[in-house]
Amino acid sequence: MHATLCDLITDLVQNSFEANAAEVTLNVEETEKNLKVVIADNGKGMSAETLEKAKDPFYSDGLKHKHRKVGLGLPFLFQTSEMTGGTATIESEEGVGTTVTFNLDPANVDLPMFGNFSTAAATLMTYGFQGNLTIEHSKDGKSYSVSREELIEVLGDLNDLESLTLLKQFIEGNEEEING
Amino acid sequence: MAKMTLEELRNLRNSKKKEMTQRDGEKSAQIVIGMGTCGIAAGAKDAFDAFLDELNSHEIKDTRITQTGCMGLCFSEPTVEVAVPDMPRVIYGNVDAEVARRIVREHIIEKKLVSDHIFDKPAADIITD
Repeated sequence: MHATLCDLITDLVQNSFEANAAEVTLNVEETEKNLKVVIADNGKGMSAETLEKAKDPFYSDGLKHKHRKVGLGLPFLFQTSEMTGGTATIESEEGVGTTVTFNLDPANVDLPMFGNFSTAAATLMTYGFQGNLTIEHSKDGKSYSVSREELIEVLGDLNDLESLTLLKQFIEGNEEEING
Repeated sequence: MAKMTLEELRNLRNSKKKEMTQRDGEKSAQIVIGMGTCGIAAGAKDAFDAFLDELNSHEIKDTRITQTGCMGLCFSEPTVEVAVPDMPRVIYGNVDAEVARRIVREHIIEKKLVSDHIFDKPAADIITD
């Protein structure tokens, strides 16, 4: 299991990047009683058979690493939700895309810490991914949304240190606003 | 950190760009952080934050930080590849926040390898400089 929920979210969003998606959306909705996360992409999707296998930690499609026999992202999600009484579902269709949805109880003592969302968002926005990522984060009614395309239009090369620093400041400012 | 609009972000970027173009003589360094499942689990994001913080504190602006998936070195995560002009490309292993800060100070600024964390580098006979 990942040490923080932000680590888990990062891992799952990277799955969408690797599915050759052009559009990925990460929606995080926090309330006092529920944490809902939806990660949707229009990537290559999975057949019902592959989807079942993807829940097995000792399965990998072997495309990224030919000799690799493990794939832990989705198994970590199911482990976390089962251990804490949450729910997790994946809907996927070949050639259409995949949507991962999970709901977790923030009050459950076994739930990992939420973690640093600003760093998670900054690393996702600057990952080597050519499509668009939109992040929507809401907490108790306050929210913000930003897309990779908007950030590139404003900042240019997101991997340049100056842009990266400004991007992180921008996300931290928005995070402070919804957490304040 | 006050909330910023995209327009405020654009203005800030434009003012920083002017400063950047006034600098010269700096050579660029590239840092590639392994951010696969193993890297994330081992603390690659702490290394990412530490690189960002240390580079900014020394005003080493002409640097790119990129990420990649698993480099196949899960046992030595977080792994980081560093490329500085006129130095061999080096893969460092077990790069926690403190090691990331050392890489900035010693490798990027002082041009000395952080020998106790080198996982891989070109063989000595192919380093010509």
